Amino acid sequence: MEPSVGRTERKDVAIRVENVKKSFTVGENDIPVLTGVSLEIRRGDFALLVGPSGCGKSTLLHIIYGLEQPSEGAVFIDGKDIWSHSKDWRADFRNQSVGFIPQQSFWIKSLSVIENIAIPAVIGGKTFHESIPRAAKLIELVGMGKWADYRPYDLSGGQQQRISVARSLMLDPKFIIADEPTGNLDFKAGQEILRLMNDVCAEFGITVIMVTHNVEQYKYGSRIVRMRDGKIESDEENMNSYMRLKKEFPDAKLVEEFGEEHA
Amino acid sequence: MKRGIPKTGRKAGSPKEGAVLKMRLSSILLIGYRNLLINKFRSLMTIGGVAVGIGIVTFLISLGFGFQEMVVREVTKDNPPDIVEVSNSNLDNFVSLDDATIGRIRDIGGVTQVGRSINTGGKFAEGDSQTDGAMYGQDAEFAAMSPLKMIAGNADFGEGSDKVVVSSRLAELLGFPDPTSIVGKTVTYDIILSSETNAEVKGDTVRPGNAIEVGGVLDDRDKALAYFPYPLLAREFGVDLAQQGKVKAAEGAAIADIRTQIENLGFVTENVGDIVGDIDGFFLVIKVVLVVFGSIIMSISAMGMLNTLSVSLLQRTKEVGILKALGAKRDDIFKMFIFEAAIISSIGGLAGLLGGYGAAKAVNVLFDTFAARQGSGSISFVSIPGYFLLAIVGFVIFLALATGLMPARRASQTHALEALRYE
Repeated sequence: MEPSVGRTERKDVAIRVENVKKSFTVGENDIPVLTGVSLEIRRGDFALLVGPSGCGKSTLLHIIYGLEQPSEGAVFIDGKDIWSHSKDWRADFRNQSVGFIPQQSFWIKSLSVIENIAIPAVIGGKTFHESIPRAAKLIELVGMGKWADYRPYDLSGGQQQRISVARSLMLDPKFIIADEPTGNLDFKAGQEILRLMNDVCAEFGITVIMVTHNVEQYKYGSRIVRMRDGKIESDEENMNSYMRLKKEFPDAKLVEEFGEEHA
Repeated sequence: MKRGIPKTGRKAGSPKEGAVLKMRLSSILLIGYRNLLINKFRSLMTIGGVAVGIGIVTFLISLGFGFQEMVVREVTKDNPPDIVEVSNSNLDNFVSLDDATIGRIRDIGGVTQVGRSINTGGKFAEGDSQTDGAMYGQDAEFAAMSPLKMIAGNADFGEGSDKVVVSSRLAELLGFPDPTSIVGKTVTYDIILSSETNAEVKGDTVRPGNAIEVGGVLDDRDKALAYFPYPLLAREFGVDLAQQGKVKAAEGAAIADIRTQIENLGFVTENVGDIVGDIDGFFLVIKVVLVVFGSIIMSISAMGMLNTLSVSLLQRTKEVGILKALGAKRDDIFKMFIFEAAIISSIGGLAGLLGGYGAAKAVNVLFDTFAARQGSGSISFVSIPGYFLLAIVGFVIFLALATGLMPARRASQTHALEALRYE
């Protein structure tokens, strides 16, 4: 599917979803959730997957992340057909290449904030000792340095999502998959998280797919993919995104105002 | 505004097919340990349950083994296991321990020493003092197999010896308040001979008015005893039979075979092994009861542990979900839970082992303190055999597997999405 709006620069395809269908079996009935979705996400995109509840955006996200197997179709990430590989391969792939920010932050309760940030590296076979230095840099990056030794559940929702962002960056991912990361946050905290994600992903060239149903947040997407009833309804480049404006007008004040006037 | 973030030294997005990443064991153990720390009270109760179970079993078993060892030690102290006691059959006296039968016993393979002894009674006198006493006649070999506890002088029961050994009690009765001072004195004695001592004698015959020099004193303050050299009695009174014999077996010789051959000659044999066997049998029954009792206690603490781990799993479903979503494998999750069970059971096992053994030792010390006040010597009745320690190690592993396997399997099979959706 060719994007309908022209681009100022050519970017290569990072994620390609090919005619993905998914239905769930409930009792004796097949409930179709995705009825043929094709999508191309280009490198560096900050793609928002939007649509009403039950349109299948979360399911599509889980399929791309390698957690939910599609009934039909294929997902190519960096040219690799992830569903043709083994379960363990996908686990390693998620671990090494994709950062994950869930709607609710889930933590290992017995570990401190900084140890939780280091968890992806530990899962990948590093020791805590080896991983903590990078986790320490990341916690500074998200502005939570002084909370390093707290228990994650002692933090506020907004603070926890900042830690989630730090954790998703732990293994220097090429992609970040985020499932309504601001769904449980108040407006201000949500804004902050999205700016943080925008800044960090622009800086490190990370491709993002994020599910949201908050219209206020559209300005943070460089692309808006609208879904309805298990299909893509529209897929447009956002010429007025926060990311783009910030790039073209590096005057921080203007960008801040841009944020505030929509508030 | 470039921020410096150290790279982890890996090219992003290049997992190799087949090369499955695994969590370090040290990380898994650390997480397990932290999980115990965060629920301190619950962990303490669970570990405490295991510790109390293993502690009680250890306490009971170490006392059981200790008492058994103590009894066996006491029984075998004066009865080495390589010595066979030989005596005349009670039913019919058609054989006696005379020179001929002693010679035949000596010829049995594996026999290194044969000694003989008689016991009879008599009167002793020295100066104005006079008393009855028990008389023993034994040869040098017999004496070598059951040495006397001497406090003065020498004990010589050889061919040329003509001196008697008396007990300290006998010396006192003969007017020597310091028993050792009797050494070198000459005492007179009457001896009773019978058909058990002399082949030619019918009924009891008293041979009065003999004199002998005291060569040594043995430690016995209760009984008036005198030990004569058997060769001397043979020379003086024609003693040619013996009521008791001792046979020493060579190292490694089959005691049972030697006993059978001696019994075939018509004698009755005894070996300390018989008694030890009886003691062991008795304690085996006690130990079986203890083990059954202990197993019931252990199964209760095992159920407590299973309960804790199951609840802990339910509480951590979301943790399992996020770990799986972030790339943890089934194996990693499985290990996480099984090692947590292992940490609980091994800490509990170690604490129980030390606690149980310590409690038994404390009882021993307490007992010794009281015994010392009563004037008896100290005794030790606490012992843990090596194979019991091995059994406890085995049990600790079994406990970890039995209680950890089910929760670990269930956790590892949880799907990442199920776990993340779980409310």
